[in-house]
Amino acid sequence: MRLQIANFKFILLIAAFCSSLFTATDVYAMHISEGILPFNWALLWSLIAIPFVAWGLYRLKKLSAVDLSFKPLVGLMAAVVFIISCMPIPVPTAGTCSHPCGTGISGILVGPAISILIAAVALLIQSLFLAHGGLTTWGANIISMGVMGSFAGFLTFRALRSLKINMAVSGFMAGLFADWATYLTTSVELASGIRGDSPFMPLFWKILIAFIPTQLPLGILEGAMTAGMVVLLYKKRPDLLVKMRVLKAEEVAA
Amino acid sequence: MEIFSEHFKKDHMLSKVDARLKLGVSLFVLAMVLSYKGIVFPLLILCVSLAVCVRIKIPMRMFLLRFSEPVFIASVIILLKFLFSGQEAMFSIKIFGIVITGYKDGLTDGLQIACRILGAVSIIAVLGFSTPFTEIMAALSWMRFPRSFIEILMLAYRYIFVLLEDAMVIYNAQKNRLGYSSIRRGLGSFGTLAGSLMLKAFEHSHNITVSMIQRGYDGNMPALKHKPFKLSEVAVSALAITAIGIIWKI
Repeated sequence: MRLQIANFKFILLIAAFCSSLFTATDVYAMHISEGILPFNWALLWSLIAIPFVAWGLYRLKKLSAVDLSFKPLVGLMAAVVFIISCMPIPVPTAGTCSHPCGTGISGILVGPAISILIAAVALLIQSLFLAHGGLTTWGANIISMGVMGSFAGFLTFRALRSLKINMAVSGFMAGLFADWATYLTTSVELASGIRGDSPFMPLFWKILIAFIPTQLPLGILEGAMTAGMVVLLYKKRPDLLVKMRVLKAEEVAA
Repeated sequence: MEIFSEHFKKDHMLSKVDARLKLGVSLFVLAMVLSYKGIVFPLLILCVSLAVCVRIKIPMRMFLLRFSEPVFIASVIILLKFLFSGQEAMFSIKIFGIVITGYKDGLTDGLQIACRILGAVSIIAVLGFSTPFTEIMAALSWMRFPRSFIEILMLAYRYIFVLLEDAMVIYNAQKNRLGYSSIRRGLGSFGTLAGSLMLKAFEHSHNITVSMIQRGYDGNMPALKHKPFKLSEVAVSALAITAIGIIWKI
């Protein structure tokens, strides 16, 4: 037991060290960097990501057949997600800047299928030109940021709205859970990819704890950002939220 | 956004090489780097890629910017593997009652992963620095990537710059009105900025659709055209892959 407490203290020490490293450079902790995952894991995550992206493309084809402006809208939303996930925001506990993922808001607005596609597009541009993420880790990043982030954001928002929770709180919780779901999945992917012959669970917990100093407050900040976005859209263009099926027409009228 | 390759010098040894071949060779070498057990091959690829970047005159600032994140991640991975993963203890010290143990096999694994990261990132850096985005899109289209996906990529890439300009205008206006003077106000301003960008995206998408429909848009953009391969380029690429493959095998 004593040994476990000492181990925990040590992990916290390493977490503090990692946060001090974060001060030296902007952190893009949401994306798994190029080359981290060995070939078999990179391939496995890519194969898992393919059906989700295919589902997004299927939904896109279906929706853009009805509304010609839908494809340009998805393209522009991908550009917004790209910009949001490149924007530095302050992380008070680390005393530095980090970056939100932006799939919480896209999940809320266009649903998880299209949001996964948007994440895939933003991640590909980032990996090719900014070295955020990578081509070999594209699949893994689509799963963590696109699939888990979008589903967490979408489901949280819908669940809270069905309980008549207001827009700001629903948006905040959706952003928070989208961010934390992304970070949790990234930890699973990292631990499984780099563990070698070591057992999975101990390394997973260590990675999870090492990321806490930045990702915990970052989730709260992403929640605040998502709430701000949802509230602004609600105030300025509620018709768009109705068109995107985020709100019902009677909710706007009320 | 100056990191996008279009802003760099265009007349270098790789600028005229077919993007399909560059992408193909890059993916092949990436697969070799990922499946290699050791540090020699990824380090060799890193050195060759760095030499190519110097040869095609990539500004040092851009280069350092591109590698800052991978180097940081590689350092954390080495640390994690060295201190938390392994069987063969290298040293063990006690600081403030906490026993810190460094593992030899953990360090070896960590160094291997770090070299893999740097080698893989350097390959994509060469590809990104030497190939304009539109050419990469054409290459992806030739590789049978779904057409809708390429269209979304093209639209996103085109409007990143437009939306970024909008974002800068909003950000400067907010900053001038002390929108980022405290964390609380900063958060509110950032939410407003992100929301305004989303509104701009809706407006732009409506305007683009109207103008595209006027030009005959029916829901699909014209397919990208591909030039035939040059035999000399294919031969050089095949030679490069064979040579790298032999080194990988050794």
